[in-house]
Amino acid sequence: MAEILRKEDKLVEDISAKFKIAGKVQRERRVWLTIDEDNLIALCDFVKELGFEHLSAISVTDWPEEGTFELTYHLWSYSEKILLTVKTKLNRANAIVDSVVPIWKENAQIHERELHELFGVKFEGNEDLTPLFLEDWDGPPPFRKDFDWREYVRQECYDQTNERERAYYD
Amino acid sequence: MTRQMNEKELITIEHIEPIIPEDTDYNFYFGPAHSGSGNFGVKLKIEGERVKSARADPGYLHRGFEKLMEYRVPVQNAVLSDRVCVLEALNWNLVHAEAVDELTGVGVPQRARYIRVLMAELSRLQSHLIWYGAMCLGLGFDTGFKMAFGYRDYILDLFELITGGRVYPAGYICPGGVRRDLPDGSEDKIKRVLDQTEEMMQKMKDFDNIVFSGRTKGVGILRTEDAIRLGATGPVLRACGVETDVRKDDPYEIYGELDFDIPVREEGDAYARCLIREREMEESIKIIKQILGRIPQGNIREPVKITPPSRVKIPEGEVYVRNELARGEGCAYMRSVGGREPYRVKLRGPDFLHMIPVLEHLLKGSEIADIPAIYWSLNICPADMDR
Repeated sequence: MAEILRKEDKLVEDISAKFKIAGKVQRERRVWLTIDEDNLIALCDFVKELGFEHLSAISVTDWPEEGTFELTYHLWSYSEKILLTVKTKLNRANAIVDSVVPIWKENAQIHERELHELFGVKFEGNEDLTPLFLEDWDGPPPFRKDFDWREYVRQECYDQTNERERAYYD
Repeated sequence: MTRQMNEKELITIEHIEPIIPEDTDYNFYFGPAHSGSGNFGVKLKIEGERVKSARADPGYLHRGFEKLMEYRVPVQNAVLSDRVCVLEALNWNLVHAEAVDELTGVGVPQRARYIRVLMAELSRLQSHLIWYGAMCLGLGFDTGFKMAFGYRDYILDLFELITGGRVYPAGYICPGGVRRDLPDGSEDKIKRVLDQTEEMMQKMKDFDNIVFSGRTKGVGILRTEDAIRLGATGPVLRACGVETDVRKDDPYEIYGELDFDIPVREEGDAYARCLIREREMEESIKIIKQILGRIPQGNIREPVKITPPSRVKIPEGEVYVRNELARGEGCAYMRSVGGREPYRVKLRGPDFLHMIPVLEHLLKGSEIADIPAIYWSLNICPADMDR
């Protein structure tokens, strides 16, 4: 097993030599790293140089009890054939993070635009964060954990005084 | 009967000044109500016949699956995952099932793995047939459209036989395996459908000169470095000379044991993208034929005895699953905190990148007449972009 995971372990070693990270090899071709917010851009720059040129996705996980947003950047290297996930945590009350658009260009731009709309995370340096999916939406960012869409639909789409729609309120 | 104009009238017409418009710029909407656009629009700024700039206008099919899945248990999410992309429901079933399997650590029985890949490849075949039909429709070749959809129906008959649903398999590929076993005689039926599909592929080759090459050669050229920068994956990237396929580079299920090639072309134009897909159909047929002789006996699901969904919990953890869909790379990030429902699901569809940055990049500077050829050569699906 150790023999097979050599390149994954080496990647974690190479990055640990430069950055203070918590890294683990989950399985063959899957590496997960955690880094603090301040060093995120420097790390992203570094791994892009290592060959992680395909930004597969960016995702946000909302942790309202902790008061944080967790950002995950999923990166694929066509040469090394490893999927590297970089995770970082943001303060939920002041969710601003530096954009990775200078590194992964248009690809990152569109992912950040989506997350800004759905989670309300602001990406500093991304010039176009206009909403993608929702038209005329002025409520809270809908993918946050504290947005109860069931309650919202009940309020907006049904009529409590209508006998036939009472079932939705019971 | 045409009326002869007299001399006086002719002189008057000669003296009319031709109207030369000072400004030929205008805005042009391709979709969302266009018959060939799907539930999606592109706002174009046109100068004469040339597109000055393009801006994608998504959101007509946004259903919020990622959020919906946070409220449902995996058995329900398997059914939801059908709807992520209408045109390749089984492939998205597989993405979801793999994410849950990796979290629970269930050893999926070997028979189920073979059936999963078999269904995923059949789904890729029918998806490519839809693409061919839509491409023909875009190019004004109605016969090709009707034929492709006709031949696709044979594959849908198979889906009905095996999964119970023609388009939506209702979570046939479920966490732990597949929902039910192949019915008796289905192998013979699959072989018959493969023969019919090969018949259609021969027709596609015959139509090539009449329709495809003239309208698509040299149109919408995507260079390799642009393709990687814009996040293109799958056939779009392979048509730009990058040899990559998730089934080979990051093998899942039993793809590592199968023998198939990755078609690659260097041109990067719409024609290359079309040829790649036609070659991929041949490879899919090759894969299915290999599987048919080798499906082992055994269980089709683990655990065999079904526990009530209310008692099943997903172990704590996080995974990122990558699959090769008909359109490109389809991924799912799933996070669990040990509850019945996943805490967070992120779905990454290939068309999110193909329909926004790649399409905007290719349309800029193209001719109006080339828009459908570029648009459909990307094989887009608004459903997996909006999610």
